[in-house]
Amino acid sequence: MVEVFAVASGKGGTGKTTSTLALGMALAAEYDVTVIDADTGMANILFHAGLSDVETTLHEVLAGNAPVEEAVYRRFGMDVVPCGTSLGGFREAEPGRLRDVVATLAERTDVILLDSPATLGSRSAVLPIVLADRIVVVLQPTIPSLSDGLKVQEYATTYGTDVAGILFNRVTDDEAIDRIATKAQRYFEGETLAVVPESETVRAARRASEPLLAHAPDSPPAESYWEAASALTVRPGESAAVADRFRSAVIPDDS
Amino acid sequence: MKLPPGQLRRRRVVTDLSTPLANALEAELTGYMRLESQDALLLDGDGVGVLTFEDGIPVLAYHTGTDNGGAAALADIAVAGPHRMELYELDRHVLTEVHEEADLRVPPGLPAERLAGNSRLGERTRERAPGDRRHERSEGANELDAVEAFLDDEETIETLRERASEEATLRADEWGFEVE
Repeated sequence: MVEVFAVASGKGGTGKTTSTLALGMALAAEYDVTVIDADTGMANILFHAGLSDVETTLHEVLAGNAPVEEAVYRRFGMDVVPCGTSLGGFREAEPGRLRDVVATLAERTDVILLDSPATLGSRSAVLPIVLADRIVVVLQPTIPSLSDGLKVQEYATTYGTDVAGILFNRVTDDEAIDRIATKAQRYFEGETLAVVPESETVRAARRASEPLLAHAPDSPPAESYWEAASALTVRPGESAAVADRFRSAVIPDDS
Repeated sequence: MKLPPGQLRRRRVVTDLSTPLANALEAELTGYMRLESQDALLLDGDGVGVLTFEDGIPVLAYHTGTDNGGAAALADIAVAGPHRMELYELDRHVLTEVHEEADLRVPPGLPAERLAGNSRLGERTRERAPGDRRHERSEGANELDAVEAFLDDEETIETLRERASEEATLRADEWGFEVE
């Protein structure tokens, strides 16, 4: 079985990478999880997962210079595919090859999480949302974040991708968030998976180059991610069928 | 609100307005920011947002499509990103008269909070504002009240969703994606 989730937000700074790795680690308690840094223009996962010194990343794979297996690193109980940070690597990468990467990895894992770019401005930025079965929308309780999140949802549903849920992150006001989450729920198709409080612990984890759930597994934000993961029901899909679907996805290679 | 063109200092497409607002603050810009929605470029244009600055501190906000000013204009601009942002420098005296339009004024920190969801930048902007403006606040409403008001505005949200869906369909064609 395999299900592919794109962790998305229309705008930067919502804590998408932190959320992707936290959800990945929490889901890894039950499933075989692979996390892919699909934000090829602004790689982050390598810094969050202590992988900044690795030689082979998704960039080399997307450039056709390495097989995907060489960019997979077993860390924190899951497989992590980081992206590199060099501009050269980004230029050489063929975003369309992400489809083959997902297809190959889909054959050997239960859950794939794609950390997606915080923009809808280009074909390659939207590709993870197109490839995924469902998206998880990471939001902050602000007008620009909510409106961008709604746009992400519209893009996803237009391209046949469902919404698994929304996650409010970096929340500072506990009382108002309940009202806001309830009101936001009217417009979003998935349920509210969790409300994650703003926390210095998240920044400390980032500085330590560790995912939050490894750095402070019992902290309040970590607790929220555990809750989010348990609210996320993974839908079983036949791995071979999913792999075929990605391979045959109508996405030209010339992007 | 009529403004002369001024000297173009920066032009780019932005998804997060924190950076240009912080840049304007650091550069102590006197002039204005013109914000045109990317949706408007792709679909039918429906106005632009304008934000004026004095020494890097926001003074007025106006939206040409809705004719709203002040905090209401910020709400119009906030939902319209990503934007093509242009930053213009103007002589101070050109803005003096324009800045007398009381209906269009915004508290110094409000644009960072509403347009970028960035309360830290809002606070920093307030701290750098001149003494008589430092304690200006929008009437009554705090940030989360504004978010709730946005979520209560079903019509605006419906329009936003329809436009995004329309945009996604147009782009699917351009990008070679299948639409279901």
